Amino acid sequence: MAVVEVENLRYRYPRQTTLALDGVSFTAEPGEFVGIVGPNLSGKSTLCHALIGLVPHFYKGAIGGRVVVAGLDVHQTPVAEMSRRVGLVFQNPFTQITGAKLTVYEEVAFGLEYTGAPREEMAPRIEEALRLLGLWELRDRSPFALSGGQMQRLAIASVLAMRPQVLVLDEPTSQLDPAGTREVFDAAATLCRQGITVIMAEHKIELLAEHADRLLVLHQGRLVADGTPRDILTRAASRELPGEPAPAPPVTQAAASLDWRMPGGGFPVTLAEAVAVGRPIVERHSGVDSR
Amino acid sequence: MRVSLYVSADTWLHRLDPMTKLLMAATGVTLTFILTRTESAAVLLAIFLAALGTGRVLRQAASVFAGVGIVAATFLIVQGLVHPTNATPLIALGPVVLYTEGLLIGLRLALRLYNILSATLILVLATNPADLTEALVRRGAPARLGYVIMSVLQIIPTMVAQSAAITDAQRSRGMETEGSLWTRAKAFLPLMGPLVTSSLIATEERALALEVRGFGSTVRPTFLRAETRPPHAVPVRILCVLTLALGATGRWVLGW
Amino acid sequence: MSAVIEARSVHFHYTPGVPVLTGVTLSLGPGATAIIGQNGAGKSTFVRLLNGLLKPVSGSILVNGADTRSLTVASLARTVGLVFQNPSDQLFKSRVIDEVTFGPLNLGFSREEAEERAREALAQVGLHGVETRNPYDLGLAERKLVTIASVLAMGTSALIFDEPTIAQDYAGVRRLGKIVDELTAAGRTVIVISHDMDFVARHCHRVVVFSRGRVLADGDAASVFSRPDILQQAALEAPQIARLAHALSMDQTPLTPEQFVDLVRRRLSGSS
Repeated sequence: MAVVEVENLRYRYPRQTTLALDGVSFTAEPGEFVGIVGPNLSGKSTLCHALIGLVPHFYKGAIGGRVVVAGLDVHQTPVAEMSRRVGLVFQNPFTQITGAKLTVYEEVAFGLEYTGAPREEMAPRIEEALRLLGLWELRDRSPFALSGGQMQRLAIASVLAMRPQVLVLDEPTSQLDPAGTREVFDAAATLCRQGITVIMAEHKIELLAEHADRLLVLHQGRLVADGTPRDILTRAASRELPGEPAPAPPVTQAAASLDWRMPGGGFPVTLAEAVAVGRPIVERHSGVDSR
Repeated sequence: MRVSLYVSADTWLHRLDPMTKLLMAATGVTLTFILTRTESAAVLLAIFLAALGTGRVLRQAASVFAGVGIVAATFLIVQGLVHPTNATPLIALGPVVLYTEGLLIGLRLALRLYNILSATLILVLATNPADLTEALVRRGAPARLGYVIMSVLQIIPTMVAQSAAITDAQRSRGMETEGSLWTRAKAFLPLMGPLVTSSLIATEERALALEVRGFGSTVRPTFLRAETRPPHAVPVRILCVLTLALGATGRWVLGW
Repeated sequence: MSAVIEARSVHFHYTPGVPVLTGVTLSLGPGATAIIGQNGAGKSTFVRLLNGLLKPVSGSILVNGADTRSLTVASLARTVGLVFQNPSDQLFKSRVIDEVTFGPLNLGFSREEAEERAREALAQVGLHGVETRNPYDLGLAERKLVTIASVLAMGTSALIFDEPTIAQDYAGVRRLGKIVDELTAAGRTVIVISHDMDFVARHCHRVVVFSRGRVLADGDAASVFSRPDILQQAALEAPQIARLAHALSMDQTPLTPEQFVDLVRRRLSGSS
């Protein structure tokens, strides 16, 4: 059963004339990793915010359609209540630190305290979240003393301790180095295996191609494509998507030019796939060479 | 850089719960106002210093004391020079004469200043601000107020760091900040705008982050740690009340 | 208008006993040079030495032959422009146009000239109609573009970009690539710190690898990206397309998908 149901979602920010989201519909299953791609200002962040109710409760504006997450109608439910079912992680790791807590451990407790979780439940939930994100050893550090990647994992751990069914990440790696980026993607993949639905807006298409089960493509507030990474990126490499919203990874672009196709159809989207498809072709010819 | 003066340690003072230390500080300040004579002020200061000393925060206190030293010195000099009761010259430096009466009054004022300061420092230096705000929120203070106090303490240092970064960026774009005091003063003003704007934007981003962590929830918050009160808190509290009673008796019955 | 920046056995630390740079010797001239390396490798510190914000503890930095110790940062700004990694470390005016004219005005241009330069620079980075907006009302990607425009407008002969592609979408990355290419073609000295290896491979002819405060490798992009051993030592990866070629045991290192396609086609036609 779908844990996220978005039906004909339309939204306009206050004092704006154009729709930020225009007729977006999709569903997501438990444990699914859904990537959202598209150019800046195409509505990725707005969609992320709509899944927990910041749109419209925080930003106001006009909204239509239906968003149901974990069985709750988001438009009828306060954000504080939604926050126990949906975790949202933002772009800037630094501004997500509450600033009110002195240690990593206490930082994770913040959400539990403010949603009135019973004290005896806190310690096990905090420990579980910190261990899952690989932060247990850092629990006594000041949150401000962490690296960018560690801070972003702390932000994830902090929402994770609230035991959400859905984790939404809005360009979580744009301010991180490759090592920090890997940490975040690996953490997201781990959570998927635990049955949590991960929805991630991101520009790093190589990594989405590797980890996501599905990609949603946004263009000017509309959902213009929804499919497996292979489906979407094959179409992107063949220039079948409007406005270059999702450039295919370099290996997919090259495979498209060379018409290297996967056995099941479509172009390779990861390095490993491209190697598997390309090796017999390249070696056949080097075999001819050596004869 | 840090804003909070709190230094963690394990002493009888640090182990006391925040509310007891709040009572101690309040008692100290009240006594300073009740007992106005120089002798009583000196006795009080000795007690406060003993508390700070055994709480191992005297060193931090000393730097605060040094900081307000100039105010204390001003009390002494101004009163010594111009107080209306001045009659007995004590020191004369050319035309400048300091009088005993004024100096004594200045000394009393300085002592009281240090008393108020020391009493407050008993709370401030030995209490984790997080614990204090939490203790207040537990007793019904608004959670949002508690958050504001805590976050201001943490965010000021980051603003200071950012102002340094922006100055660097301005110099990198040809703004002269090296050289005379005037050049540097001119360079400082344009800095205020961005600090405020960028902290506002950070505030909005942080407000969103807090919102998704359940901050707007209408339920009463719960707390990670149970409130503990060490065994010696009760005698300390009783002592505070007795001292207060003694001070009041001394002032209004015995005429100290 | 060309600039040569030379680092001669530069050592630097913020706190004694915690070295950040340990003997960096590099000569940076016209063309686009990428500096790559893990966070903490000393890249951002190094570029702050190049424009005089920091002075070497030992060794020296010469900008067109002049030691940075003898010059103020403001006077070096005539030659070396630096775009910081984090836009909020740089933006401080309440209108975009004031932000972008700030540098040119400091360099002594008249208001008209400065505004002319600012408009050109904003068009170059692809920002239109934002002149009177507050930079902080823009998204992170656009704020970054404002900081880039505000250094482009100064027209310095050397430009340093610290992580220019942060938060940019595909179109933004391509536009920045074009700017780097144009600056290179105009004979400027361009230095790019980046984690985006595809961007580096496509737009920088020279790649310098930093690791633990020293230069681990320095050469043209293809030769550096053909050394997975060295990259691994610096906790880096070659661009995806170079890794594909390497995995397929191809003898050359392509830097772009197009080059890879050419290599494969040549190989296939050569053998048929």
